[in-house]
Amino acid sequence: MDWRQLFYHSMNMFNVVIVSYFFVGNGVYTLLMMVSLVSVWVHNRRLAYQGLDDIRESVITPPATIIMPAWNEQEIIATSLASILKTDYPSLEVIVVDDGSSDETLQRLITAFKLVKMDLIYRPRIPTKALRGFYLNPRIPNLLVISKENGGKPDALNVGINMCRTPYFCTLDSDCLLEPDALLRLMRPIIRSPINTVASGGIVRILNGCDVKDDRVVKVGLPQGRVERFQVVEYLRSFHFGRAGWDLLGGTLIVSGAFAVFHRESVIETGGFHLDTVTEDMDLIVQLHRWAVHNHRKIKMSFTSDPVCWTECPSSLSNLARQRRRWQMGLFQTLWKNSEMLFNRKFGLLGWLSFPFQLYIEGLGAAVEFLGYFMVPLALGLGIVPPTLFVLFVLLGLVYGGFLSVGAVLLEELTYRRYPKGRDLLTLLIYAVIENFGYRQVVLFYRFQGLVRFITGFQQWEKVVHVGAAE
Amino acid sequence: MPFLIEHVTEVVFTIVVVVLLGTGTLIGMAIARRQRRERYFQRIDQVRERFGPVATALISERIEYQRGLEALKSISGVDRMHMLEQLLVSKPAPPDQIPILRKACQDLGLVKLWQQEVSGQITPVALMSPQGILRRVSRLHFLVRAKAAENLGIIRHKESWPLLVKALDDSHADVQTVAARALAAIGEPASFPMLLNRLQRVVLDGSDHLSLRTMKSAAVSFPLKQADELLPLLAALNGRLRFQAVDILREMVEREAAREAEFQLDRQNLSPELTELFVTKLCFDENPDARARSALTLSYLLDLRATPALVTLLEDPQWFVRLHAVRSLAKRKFLSQADAIGKRLTDSQWMVREAAARTLMVFGRAGLDQLTRHFLETQDRYSREQVADEMQRAGLLPTLLFCSIWEPIPTPRSGPGSGNWQPGKPTSS
Repeated sequence: MDWRQLFYHSMNMFNVVIVSYFFVGNGVYTLLMMVSLVSVWVHNRRLAYQGLDDIRESVITPPATIIMPAWNEQEIIATSLASILKTDYPSLEVIVVDDGSSDETLQRLITAFKLVKMDLIYRPRIPTKALRGFYLNPRIPNLLVISKENGGKPDALNVGINMCRTPYFCTLDSDCLLEPDALLRLMRPIIRSPINTVASGGIVRILNGCDVKDDRVVKVGLPQGRVERFQVVEYLRSFHFGRAGWDLLGGTLIVSGAFAVFHRESVIETGGFHLDTVTEDMDLIVQLHRWAVHNHRKIKMSFTSDPVCWTECPSSLSNLARQRRRWQMGLFQTLWKNSEMLFNRKFGLLGWLSFPFQLYIEGLGAAVEFLGYFMVPLALGLGIVPPTLFVLFVLLGLVYGGFLSVGAVLLEELTYRRYPKGRDLLTLLIYAVIENFGYRQVVLFYRFQGLVRFITGFQQWEKVVHVGAAE
Repeated sequence: MPFLIEHVTEVVFTIVVVVLLGTGTLIGMAIARRQRRERYFQRIDQVRERFGPVATALISERIEYQRGLEALKSISGVDRMHMLEQLLVSKPAPPDQIPILRKACQDLGLVKLWQQEVSGQITPVALMSPQGILRRVSRLHFLVRAKAAENLGIIRHKESWPLLVKALDDSHADVQTVAARALAAIGEPASFPMLLNRLQRVVLDGSDHLSLRTMKSAAVSFPLKQADELLPLLAALNGRLRFQAVDILREMVEREAAREAEFQLDRQNLSPELTELFVTKLCFDENPDARARSALTLSYLLDLRATPALVTLLEDPQWFVRLHAVRSLAKRKFLSQADAIGKRLTDSQWMVREAAARTLMVFGRAGLDQLTRHFLETQDRYSREQVADEMQRAGLLPTLLFCSIWEPIPTPRSGPGSGNWQPGKPTSS
């Protein structure tokens, strides 16, 4: 076999990889969309008798702690905390962990909430970096601010867990705004479930373009920037039928740590948030699954689409790049670290469907699709692929992406309809269709960079700068 | 021949066409849905605008009942019942307006409809409404049953309790959950034993779809005077059942105590049988959870044997029993037990030490004296740390500093500050 034949065979093999990636990926996504259409719609109907008042007033409702790690968030920290302290929950504590900020984050908290430094006892059940001090105001007994040496977000969260006294804790990013009853809604599946629900995730929506008054979103609107609008569609797709679908199938591997509730003891038993990945939330979920299987514990993870947390998305491509590179790198780190789950019958659907999907479609897919943009035209140039098929296939790839994104917008329309203007709906539909012509490729490039960084052992946390995009 | 070429072109073309058509359909569905919802909300707005004030006036008895009722009866259309439901029960009514709301719902035929729905009947009238699809698809009918049960609970329709008890065994967990909640809202005494019976099954059957928290939440809503119904569970052989029953009673007691400053459990509000069970059996129960949860009830009992029982629990081998006992003693009437509580400041478990420090602070000046004395005298480093921790958290350090400047260090006979010294309120100096 000469080099020419070898090359042709290689190209053919790559074509097979591309085609299988396309059909497996889109097939699973379509399945998720179908499942989610039913489950999210039914969930929305169930809200008619949700009994939030009952949860609020019941003495049985377990107390909870919101843990908010903060690093160099001086611009928003006081506002965020003020918003969180207004959260509608019967027995709530709030712990803010300043992760060795080099700006005025801590000072602004001290000033805004009249905090006093205290020398309290620290009993770490999860090892963390050294603490610098505790700050309290006896008049706000449910608030504790902790200052520590910089150790990264997972380390800050672990400090919060060590100081947490309640059976459940909620992780919340410092740049997020919670809807007043979001925590009640997030706790509902935990309270209603007869099985130990160790993690409950809600939906993260994009704050850009919304009107905020008194630390609350008062008017929902679409952002002006194109990059932000594409992300609105992406978030709808990711949360509405990505997470809702996996939740219904029992294959949840990702719960957004920006806003999620966890069972404290279960998390401590898994060793808390691990420091060796940059997506500590996904890693924790996987660890919880492994812990449950190895210790024969019956646990449940829940995703519900009505508890809402608003977050600012990157408005520039440079910030978007940082975010997506980190997500992709963290995905690989987590999958690599927990590779024992792959096709492991002990993990059931997780091992046979969810984990391989994350690895092949969400992880390696970045490389397959990225290289596909070069290899397939090359195959066309070399006459391996006929022009008609090439055009059709490229077209199919693009329109299928649009089909799925439009499905996500429809799901939003069938359920929550958070964008009240008819114009916003049309804009979302248009962006759902055109997302695949340019934006998808740009994101794909960043994801590919994340993969390269994982391979080259890059470890740095790339911070996304928030500019206050809400109006 | 190259791989994946000739045979797939037609297939790929077909898929492209199907996907394009599918995308178009989804876009059409989204737009049509938006238009339909807008029409629906317009209709609701119209009804609310026209009949909302009438409904409000009727329920708050600002207009003659019959006149208001006739006005509401004039709402027409296939969605009439749904609109009436939206007008009357979509927002919680104040408790004093519930009776008239209930009567209106009854006279408008809503109660009958909800009762039929809870019991799973599909009526021809119901099929005509926009919600009809839910009624036709049997797997989705649980949504209708649950909502109907919820509505009966909102209006506290006493006569419906047998139906709701039956719904506790519905095939869907949602209906069971809502039925339990509705029964709690209605508070019909006769339904309490049935609710406990269902709770018993939840405790004993691990595969039950109904959550224990839901059932407990419903059970603790019943008044303390119903507590005798818990006797069979409190005397049950199964330790978990006894624990749950003790815990339910604890919550009932705690709720009553929150309403009344000097609340006590005597013959008026707790039967002698229950009192006897607590002071002779449950505080010595073999299940440590039951012992722990009995502490709070014991702390409210007037019976002379209750305090010694509580003091015994302070020495329990299980740390969480000691914890509950210490917490239960956090009432000024137990000031005489300050020494016994003080011993727990050197407990091996930090949560017990913390609870002991907090309990002593509840005793006011005398408790603080003891705490300060202990802090100064103890050789136990952990205990000292704990006391310092609690004093800082309560904002007492400025007060203590102030006192140490103006008065000698407290001794068992002399307090550290003036009479207006209050825990948690640092002085301005």
